[in-house]
Amino acid sequence: MISPQSVAPERRREAPSFSSFFAIKKWFMILGLLLVILVFAVPVLRLLLLSVLEDGAWSAAHYTHVLREAATWTAVKNTLYTVTGSTLLSLVLGVSMAWTMAYVHLRGKRWIQLFIFLPFIIPSYITTLAWIQFLGKSGPVFSLFGWAPNLYSMGGIIFLLGISHYPLVYLFTVDVFRKIPRELEDAARTAGAGRKHVLMKIVLPLALPGIAGGGLLAFLTNLDNFGIPAFLGIPANVRVLSTYIYEQIAGFGPSAFARAAVLSVLLGTIALAGTLVQWLLLKRSRVTETAVRDTSPRIFLTAWRQRLLEASIWLFLGMTSLVPFLAMGALSLVKAYGLPFRPENLSLKNYHYVFLEDAKTGSALWNSVSLAVVTTVICLVAGTALAYVRYRGGGFLPTLMELFVTIPYALPGTVLALCMIFAWMQPIPGWNPGLYGSIWILLIAYVTRFFVLQVRGSYTALLQVDPSMEEAARVSGAHGWTRWRRILLPLLFPGLAGGALLVFLMVLTELTVSSLLWSTGSETIGVVIFNYEQSGYTTYSTAFASVLVLAILAGGLSFTAFGRQWERKVMKKQ
Amino acid sequence: MIQVNNVTKKYGSFTALHEVNFHIRKGEFIAILGPSGCGKTTLLKLLAGFMEPSSGDIHIDGRLTASKNRIIPPEKRNIGMVFQSFALWPHMTVYEHVVFPLRHHRHTRDEWKQDMVARAQHVLKMVGLEQLFDRYPSKLSGGQKQRVALARAIAPLPDVLLMDEPLSALDIELRMEMRNEIQRIHRETHASVVYVTHDQGEALAMADQIIVMNNGKIEQIGSPEEVYTKPETAFVASFVGKCNMVKGKWHQNRFVPNEFPWEQWPDIGIADSLKQQGLCPVRPEQWHMTGHKGEGLKGTILSVQYQGKEIHYMVEVENENWTVHQSVFQPKYRIGDTVSLSLKAEKNIHAATL
Repeated sequence: MISPQSVAPERRREAPSFSSFFAIKKWFMILGLLLVILVFAVPVLRLLLLSVLEDGAWSAAHYTHVLREAATWTAVKNTLYTVTGSTLLSLVLGVSMAWTMAYVHLRGKRWIQLFIFLPFIIPSYITTLAWIQFLGKSGPVFSLFGWAPNLYSMGGIIFLLGISHYPLVYLFTVDVFRKIPRELEDAARTAGAGRKHVLMKIVLPLALPGIAGGGLLAFLTNLDNFGIPAFLGIPANVRVLSTYIYEQIAGFGPSAFARAAVLSVLLGTIALAGTLVQWLLLKRSRVTETAVRDTSPRIFLTAWRQRLLEASIWLFLGMTSLVPFLAMGALSLVKAYGLPFRPENLSLKNYHYVFLEDAKTGSALWNSVSLAVVTTVICLVAGTALAYVRYRGGGFLPTLMELFVTIPYALPGTVLALCMIFAWMQPIPGWNPGLYGSIWILLIAYVTRFFVLQVRGSYTALLQVDPSMEEAARVSGAHGWTRWRRILLPLLFPGLAGGALLVFLMVLTELTVSSLLWSTGSETIGVVIFNYEQSGYTTYSTAFASVLVLAILAGGLSFTAFGRQWERKVMKKQ
Repeated sequence: MIQVNNVTKKYGSFTALHEVNFHIRKGEFIAILGPSGCGKTTLLKLLAGFMEPSSGDIHIDGRLTASKNRIIPPEKRNIGMVFQSFALWPHMTVYEHVVFPLRHHRHTRDEWKQDMVARAQHVLKMVGLEQLFDRYPSKLSGGQKQRVALARAIAPLPDVLLMDEPLSALDIELRMEMRNEIQRIHRETHASVVYVTHDQGEALAMADQIIVMNNGKIEQIGSPEEVYTKPETAFVASFVGKCNMVKGKWHQNRFVPNEFPWEQWPDIGIADSLKQQGLCPVRPEQWHMTGHKGEGLKGTILSVQYQGKEIHYMVEVENENWTVHQSVFQPKYRIGDTVSLSLKAEKNIHAATL
């Protein structure tokens, strides 16, 4: 029926060999799982173990001691008050901002969005520092009105936690609102429901799983936060669990570690329970993931109402995201703390001291930058590998690995730092390689904590790439490394870089874990600013923090510009 | 020559392919036809080597290529593939797409590897894209993207071309045009083609052999005419020929419909397997429809769809709905009219002998 190959030229023939992939794959997976358990799960187990052992025997003595003390219950109560209060504040701010941005027609939404993100990428202890200056005795509010609210209080902690973490709620809920089909609202309107009725009966119920998810995320972040209660609570004697644990370790009592372990189990349990509830909620609300985002506005206000709304949004953003940082920058230029902000009092003396005279700053910068680089590279390579295995549908094992990797991030930073001490002080009982007390413990802790961020970032980037992209390269004869170099890396680059940048920024400005694990010679940026502030050198801490804020902004802007350039030049999108 | 022996593929507890057996001859154009979820894409992925069978094996040119534990990966096979979504790389030009397999495919002939520009130009000319060699995919129309995908697949001249619903993303005009293109490329390259589709028109028009699949099993293998006119199962009859399944009894070569025991229909080439089930498949165009005074099964017109060259009727006959296609040159009927249906005999004689 069909002529044999006579017209077509001779084909090249070569005996193909079988793939060795199958034999090796299984062993690699088992090895990987063992490594993941060793690094991510065993430290948590050792913390649990330490809290129930006394002189090598099982005992609940630590628990009974700690739970009998009134101070413990004060800390628990303070934690609940601050976390609940700040979560409510974050929810109100985040949800109303998200609803407005999703539905109302406003000018300059791109810029508003940028300013909402600002408190999110700047570490919360720097935001706190800025607010302390803004509302301080020599700040603009006090000089204008002769009075300013006292931030060193429970209210101050709640306020700063709330405004630092409302962007999380915003980020989480804005797409939930956009994905609610417009037709559902229209249907309710044609059925005779008024605008308020539609909001209460249609929009909010549909957005509820998303709102609850965002609220829980804010709850967990507030619970985890160490910088704000440390900067504001410790001077005012308001202790929450995270600072109380820190004080146990820093105080070095006879049973300090065991007591801290018990408190950590307490805090960790609350956090893991919150994570579990969030995971369940997210599973339920998955239906909305398939819906299309509808970014065009649904509500048009009259001209002057729109202007009024825009003005109040910008006033809010200016107050929360801009003015405090200006106040901080201004203070860093003043010669001595307490002097008014006048031309004759200005100098770069603080900057001179911080960057040229104090040797600790230079070494902290070097430490933080090199730690950030090394952590980012490790997470980028290993995290992307794990994400890729999961993306290729490796079955049960990769999912299990991801679960283990998530635990250290879900645990509050102070708890994780404690786990790291117990796990790496003597990795094998009786053998102390001297990791604790050196910079290496910080590296291990950072990788353990932030690994999951890169795994998720890489996985999301991989999901954007259709499997057929790689399959087409395979049938074209491209082997493993060629596929990565020629096809996957160019397509994945922006996503991978986004995840890596997040890890880099988190490590660069990390305070919680570092504050418990640093030692002389291994100070990080966060630790140096914290120590300046603790010892009252506010002008120095503001100078250092101002430079850091500028660097973060410059980094963020150049990444955005670079991303656009990449889209245009490499991906040929216009 | 590809030999597929007893291949089963399971995903967890779900069996996507069930003991599949067939072979593909050198240079043959095979269409795998079936509804979505019938296992045809799984079968194609097994042929490409993206996954291994749960049991059974695949031999290519007499060499074991895939079994439960051993598999030759796609990058080592002598294949080319066209994807449903085209799978063009957004960061590469048309020219780079064609050069990529020339550089990496291990079966590319040596003189083409030495002069890739010449080979790439030749291939681009073959698909009519020589002018667009420096365009990026985002600047191409759907049909042009399809041509790039074809060019990339045929550039190293593989023995086997795998096509996964390559035309389903195109509009109807372009689909007709690309059918001719694909047939021409098949003639010029002499590669075996495995063409997966859910469109029976495409399969009938292009293939030498059609494999009809349903629920992970092969229903029938045969030439387009065999599959269309002599379906072996009820599924093939209704999926490929859109047949009405009339229930009744076969007495020797006479069919008696259950509801109309006085009728007797001649055997118009019904497969034995269907006769045993007491079925007589009748394609919509095989009905002869007359007014209520005519002979045959009485029914009522339920709906009328005017299609231009044909009119499609839905006729209710004893609680069953049958489709009837009538030429526009026949008398026309309206909804509610009573009509009589009987069978047209097919003249299986070549025109030249008349």
